[in-house]
Amino acid sequence: MTILRTIAATALLMGFAGMGMASEKVDPATSAAVTEKLTAEGYDVRSVQMEDGMIEVYAIKDGAKLEIYLNDAYEIVKVKNED
Amino acid sequence: MTLQDHIGAQHAATPGRHYVWDPLVRLFHWALVGAFAFEAVLSDPESKLHQNVGFVVLGLVLARVLWGLIGTRHARFSDFPPSPAAAIGQLEDMARGRRRIHLGHSPLGALMIYNLLATLIAIGVTGYAMTTLTFWGAEWLEELHEGLVGWAEISVVAHIAAVFVESRRLRINLPRAMVTGYKQIDPQDRV
Repeated sequence: MTILRTIAATALLMGFAGMGMASEKVDPATSAAVTEKLTAEGYDVRSVQMEDGMIEVYAIKDGAKLEIYLNDAYEIVKVKNED
Repeated sequence: MTLQDHIGAQHAATPGRHYVWDPLVRLFHWALVGAFAFEAVLSDPESKLHQNVGFVVLGLVLARVLWGLIGTRHARFSDFPPSPAAAIGQLEDMARGRRRIHLGHSPLGALMIYNLLATLIAIGVTGYAMTTLTFWGAEWLEELHEGLVGWAEISVVAHIAAVFVESRRLRINLPRAMVTGYKQIDPQDRV
């Protein structure tokens, strides 16, 4: 029984981890609007996703790798600089 | 007889007790367990810590590859070459309940090791690439990285299941051997 329990526990643990990992897709209209706005502001937009209910953008500006978080009004709430 | 074999022989005074895993093999195994569990389950994938522990995993794997070339007898790749024919033979043994003892890694174990080493390298490389200017925000790479992690997790579950199944079939406590370095084999069994 220890055998099955160890295996089940491992599988379960990793299953839970997997759920938290995937960032959600964003709808194409939002993606296009956000890309257009940020591109106009000089960002090289690489990807638009959703994370924890916020729009998350991967972008480059002046050689800096950025994660930009926006609210529903497409206003920048937070910028994380990766370097 | 190498020095390690000599020390092993001295330690193996008990009948059926064989020294198989040197300290580096065991340290590598359990350090990898800890580091992979941290990366896959506990860490925030976007954190610096996740990146740094990822480098630790890559370092561990590369050290193991080097040790596979110059290490002790059962640590060497030449001691467990990938062999589909031998792996099928082991599956037949399992199906028929026949016991044939491998002192070092079994043929199926060997395939799992190569699978895990290759997968972990691929996870490390894709993970690092995601942090570069070129691949920053590349969703296909993120999906590949996560897909590889999923494959590694399936492999880990299969590995643990196989270790328990084989421990029972062969009457050897394989998890304990990876802790102590010794395989305690039924003295009646031929090696």
